[in-house]
Amino acid sequence: MPAAPGTEALVIVQSAVRRFGGRAALAGASLSVRRGEILVLLGPNGAGKTTLLRALCGRTRLDSGSIRMAGGDPADRNVRRRIGFVPQSIALWTQLSVRHNLELFGRLAGIRRAQLAAAVADTLDWTGLATRASEPVAALSGGMQRRVNIAAGTLHRPELLLLDEPTVGLDPVARSEVHQVLDRLRKTGMSLIMTTHDLVEAEALADRVALMSAGAIRAEDSLAQLIGRLFGNDQEVVLMLVAEPAPSIRDALRAARLSPTNEDKVWIGRLNSGLEQLPELRSRLIDAGADIAELRIRQPGLHGVYIELTGQVPQA
Amino acid sequence: MTMAIFRAALLQLLHDRGALLLSLFVPAVFFLIFAEIFATAASDEVQVHVAVVDEVRSADSTALLAALEREATVTIVPDVNDRQAALDLVRRGTADVALIVRADGESLADAAGLAAPPLLLLVDPSRNVAATVLSGQLQRAYFAALPDLAVGRVSELIGTEFTEFSAEQQAEIDSGLAGLRESARSGERGGWSFEELLDHQNVVGQTAALNHIAYYAGAVAFMFLLFASAQNAVGILDDQAAGILDRIAAGPGGIIVVVNGRFMFLVLQGMVQGTVIFGVAWLLYGVDVPGNFGAWLLISFCSAVLAAGLGLLLVTACRTRAQAQILPTVVILIMSAIGGSMVPRFFMPEWLQTLGWITPNTWALEAYSGLFWRGEPLLALLPRAAGLFGVGMLALAISYLLARRLVER
Repeated sequence: MPAAPGTEALVIVQSAVRRFGGRAALAGASLSVRRGEILVLLGPNGAGKTTLLRALCGRTRLDSGSIRMAGGDPADRNVRRRIGFVPQSIALWTQLSVRHNLELFGRLAGIRRAQLAAAVADTLDWTGLATRASEPVAALSGGMQRRVNIAAGTLHRPELLLLDEPTVGLDPVARSEVHQVLDRLRKTGMSLIMTTHDLVEAEALADRVALMSAGAIRAEDSLAQLIGRLFGNDQEVVLMLVAEPAPSIRDALRAARLSPTNEDKVWIGRLNSGLEQLPELRSRLIDAGADIAELRIRQPGLHGVYIELTGQVPQA
Repeated sequence: MTMAIFRAALLQLLHDRGALLLSLFVPAVFFLIFAEIFATAASDEVQVHVAVVDEVRSADSTALLAALEREATVTIVPDVNDRQAALDLVRRGTADVALIVRADGESLADAAGLAAPPLLLLVDPSRNVAATVLSGQLQRAYFAALPDLAVGRVSELIGTEFTEFSAEQQAEIDSGLAGLRESARSGERGGWSFEELLDHQNVVGQTAALNHIAYYAGAVAFMFLLFASAQNAVGILDDQAAGILDRIAAGPGGIIVVVNGRFMFLVLQGMVQGTVIFGVAWLLYGVDVPGNFGAWLLISFCSAVLAAGLGLLLVTACRTRAQAQILPTVVILIMSAIGGSMVPRFFMPEWLQTLGWITPNTWALEAYSGLFWRGEPLLALLPRAAGLFGVGMLALAISYLLARRLVER
């Protein structure tokens, strides 16, 4: 039965802190996930996304703060029965058949022997893998392997599914197939938290996005709300330079209210009257000696939100 | 260009500490171990541990044993009260051989080969060398401690064989000498020999060759149990690399089920391996496995538990698959060499035999030897079996902690 995202919070993370040596992988992260929604967790490498996912499935203990999943602690094995986890890699015994993998991971997820056959048959059916069930996983295409990888985490019908970059390395067709699988899971009322570096994917799938950097959640909302809050009516301007700018040119760019990103040749800013201001900006930059490769304005999207909140250009 | 490949190979070796260890350190250690074993076996520094029981306690026997004790290559095992205790010591391998000055034989002074010889050696056929060495030393001690007896026996021989030199007797002497000469020519022992004083008794039922086979079955079985366990346990690191451990650790069972499941498999694998090796020993060489089935099953199970625990411990102590291919191999090879899986322990010098007790190979093969070689009853084997089982479970417990570390990084 399809279900619209609810307002009831299934997961609540409050001020989560986790240190490894002197480095804080989580530095006070707070987050909530509603029933039946897809929350996409974005952020640069090292932001703490994987640590947060591990803490959510009870694998990493917090130094301080708390994580509650349906009122319980994910470190409790009974709570963990209600969580599914899909690792970034193809975490399957690839020399075994699809069916054997599903049976084994179903047992490991706590499904009773009596219910196992039905759960496997059901999963093979809705993932479209029934005709390939007897084949070794290694013989399947990359997209199909990803589907089995997700299926293995959902056999026990978890309320919360955690996915670590579930489409990494896939071509557009296979990626689209995985998106359909994720969309189907959401429609069953399952909550999904997934990480990705693909902003197009995030825009397509996310009910809400959470932007993470330096171990904390910088913003968490629907994309429309985030854009509205960060940009208002402004438009985004993106400047790409031919070469890395000299110090004098950097000063001029800052004076023109452009901000650097983690890529030295890419600078961003905002214009409240769009195209009308663009020629003037272009003249100022050329006068300052900037060698412009591209200068454009665009409606703010997740890309702009990401840069605005993290100060970094998203990975391709 | 050729030198570029040479240099690449050299740099790769220098950067791979595991390969460096295998190619340089391990051969050197092996050389040292085997050189020590064979240098001892080939030299005259063999120390024979003798359990001595003097049932007679005469002036002669006391003097003989005192002289024996002064021999440099003989060590007397202390506090041996009776013949049964001496027998047990030889069976257990604590003593290489036992010497009994027996009350139920002739006396040292007038042994004439008419009844049982005065001295009895209790010999384990696998350690015949010890009995031979002891015979020689005993002979020296005898002539050193009891020269009056030795000369007396010669004069008695002359008295009986060459008494008065009358014509008639001269003829008898000639005849006697001719008889002795004839006996010597025909290979018969003539006259008196020290050997008449000595009797030998085998302390175990089976022949020496069969004992060696029983020894090697245990020794080889345990070494391969260890190798197979470590080899299979590497699957845990494969599962870690594939992300499978991450997936399972996130489930309700946690990482413990991974270690437990693998452990159960390794124990079963070890039991099957042990069955195959001892099955061959039984069918082809007659090692009495069916006759000792219960005790064999117990020791094989406990050995498999120990090998499984150690295999898991060695692998979970590694951080990468590359490490796991080197470390267990190095450790198992060295343990097997020291512990008697490659060369029998009784060939080894004293200090190496003692050192062997730190290796699980020694524990396992001493348990098998106790059963098939020394014929120990099940009750006597229980402490050994409990030791194997207990250490195996301890290794399993440590593996839990190490495996948890694998998924908590």
